Amino acid sequence: MKTFPFIYNEPREFLSFLQPKEWANFFLGELNPRFSVTATKAKVIEVKEETSDTKTFVLKPNWLWKGFVSGQHVPVTVEIAGRRVTRFYSLSSHPNDRYLQITVKRQKGGLVSNFLNQNIKKGDILELGEASGEFVLPKDLPKELLFLAGGSGITPIHSILKDLQTLNYNGKVTLLYFVRSFEDIIFKSSFDLMQKNVSWLTVHYVFSDTPKEGYASGFLTKEILEKYVPNLKSSSVYVCGPSPMQTKALSLLEGLPIKSELFLLPGQNVTKVKKEGTVDVFLTLSHKTIQVKGERSLLEELEEQGIYPQSGCRMGICHTCVCKKQTGSITDLSNGETSQLGEENIQICVSRAESNLELEL
Amino acid sequence: MRTISKKLNKEEIEAFGKEVDSLREEVMAKVGKEDADHIRFIYKTYRYTEVLGRGLIHFSFEPISFIAGTLLLSISKIINNMELGHNVLHGQYDWMNDPRFNSRTFEWDIVCNAHQWKFYHNYMHHTYTNVLNKDHDYGYNFTRLTEAQKWKPVHLTQPFTNMFLAMNFQWGIGAHGYRVEYLETPKKLRKKKTLKDYKALFFKKIELQLLKDYILFPALAGLNFPKVILGNMLANLIRNLWTYAVIFCGHFTENAESFTTDEIVGETKAQWYLRQLKGSSNLDGNNLFYTMTGHLSHQIEHHMFPDMPAKRYREVAPRLKEICAKYGQHYNTGSFVKQFASVWKRIIAYSFPDHIATKVMGKRKKYLEPTVVLNQPSFQVSLSTEEKAVTLT
Ligand code: FES
Repeated sequence: MKTFPFIYNEPREFLSFLQPKEWANFFLGELNPRFSVTATKAKVIEVKEETSDTKTFVLKPNWLWKGFVSGQHVPVTVEIAGRRVTRFYSLSSHPNDRYLQITVKRQKGGLVSNFLNQNIKKGDILELGEASGEFVLPKDLPKELLFLAGGSGITPIHSILKDLQTLNYNGKVTLLYFVRSFEDIIFKSSFDLMQKNVSWLTVHYVFSDTPKEGYASGFLTKEILEKYVPNLKSSSVYVCGPSPMQTKALSLLEGLPIKSELFLLPGQNVTKVKKEGTVDVFLTLSHKTIQVKGERSLLEELEEQGIYPQSGCRMGICHTCVCKKQTGSITDLSNGETSQLGEENIQICVSRAESNLELEL
Repeated sequence: MRTISKKLNKEEIEAFGKEVDSLREEVMAKVGKEDADHIRFIYKTYRYTEVLGRGLIHFSFEPISFIAGTLLLSISKIINNMELGHNVLHGQYDWMNDPRFNSRTFEWDIVCNAHQWKFYHNYMHHTYTNVLNKDHDYGYNFTRLTEAQKWKPVHLTQPFTNMFLAMNFQWGIGAHGYRVEYLETPKKLRKKKTLKDYKALFFKKIELQLLKDYILFPALAGLNFPKVILGNMLANLIRNLWTYAVIFCGHFTENAESFTTDEIVGETKAQWYLRQLKGSSNLDGNNLFYTMTGHLSHQIEHHMFPDMPAKRYREVAPRLKEICAKYGQHYNTGSFVKQFASVWKRIIAYSFPDHIATKVMGKRKKYLEPTVVLNQPSFQVSLSTEEKAVTLT
């Protein structure tokens, strides 16, 4: 095969050069926007209003959807003002349900959560990724379970409780749900129904902002725990909610088996750093040198200057933004570690420039 | 080189640059859904014309459908190279975060490798526009276009070599790529091996293109394969002639100026803008024509704002023209026929030694007098309020 050495040596690469998948995606997409051979796309078949600022989206995914386990989350990609943006949301439905569902509460300043609540209607298409996450039930179910939920942190827990119901669980479950006011309770009717049907579930609502007669109010404290969870010592605990609540829970429940899940808006996990001066970032593929402050993630600082590398989740999960750093050092925002100076692959959405950098971008 | 623009002093140049900058900012702030929709429409058109074109060539049994198929395939290739490829590779749509329109992942239907092209075009050509010995696109190393290039007898052949280049333009573009990369490697690092490495990418792309157009699709036609080969050859030829014509009109028209490396030391952004203006020339036409040239009809705007979604050049142009008039700067534009004729006048003129060349080129017009213009916005684009409300975080 002297005539075509490259095709001979790398037949796969050549096949992909011919773009069979792109062609397939294009024509399938023309037939039905939900069809694709590479992307899991889902049609919104119903939008349910849960509370004034929370909506549930019932989704019908295409054939690429691989299923999920109760408690897992899924990346959701939408197009906002022409731009694709991805965020993670927990699945609030049960795996056995006919359709999927995610429940989204509007976050202050949250781009995607607001967009979903405001603009997505029946018939729209959302792009999903693969479900993942460790916030799931163990193989051997514990005798006693405690769920601590805060605000929209209830969504994966809702799914897990439904799962326990189908598993004919016969232990004891306490759900402590911290929420701003009675009106803000998500899935109230669903929990009411569940409580009627099973004997193992007790639900307590705790209002942090607007007290209501007959209900507890306040934040997560030792007293509240002792009051509502008599057999605390022998429980397995699941925590999902905003980060102050998580920190509190972790310190109160030390020594107990805990699983926790924290949802952050992109950029929220950044410990704010202030820096003097700038560092140079040389982009080797586009032959550009730009100055960044090194205060926030590289991705954000690049975008601020009109350079848009590919990105997805923007929180270090999906690896869409990986690029090769040739020289220089960065700080990994997810664990605060500073990297070596040499060549390595970095995720620019969770990396902050420490010194002058050379990136293959 | 002689200029027909008013010579500006330092302050004037900076003021000019400021106005251009604020124009850019204003338009870039509007980039959004409209631009995303545009590029998706272009993508769709490219896919459909290719399928239809290839289908018609394949199933044609009479000349009419064969010709229609060949034309559609040429159009598809032109769209793929110009409005889609050229602009996507400039990073104009990177903000969409869509791998189909991302400059890092895009590869086009031409023998030139996209990565190599980005180096010599985006970087070398767009940074050193019309700087002799630095902008390798200036005359593509064999065309003499100014007195600043020394005449050699070999230049007598340049009308013919250019005709040859026009017909085989994609090969020229491809072979140009790896050579520029090689030439731009510091002398110490230039080894046989580097040249070979650079060449390998080009050859890989050649294989792919040949396989696709001249083996794979003809094979699908069975015994009818000569017809498919012919159709693909003609489509490539038409695309080559078209892109050659458009691209040569961009910088080599009569009044497009060239520069020396000394002139650009310590150049400010404003001076760079000015050089882009003087070195480029536009083509007038209608919207369909603009799209088919990939908006290289707006070469001046493209050179000032290479990463702005190209369709926006249409709204930028009249305002930029006003700014130029205000500062007495020549804004080089004209019909396609006029500009292309002047390119050929120049190619022919400079194939001869200077005394003949200058005679053919004739005297230049005097400086343009600055005109007073009213600062009235000449266009207005409104976004729906929803879009305005969404800010990207
Ligand atoms: S964008 Fe997902 S890992 Fe960086």
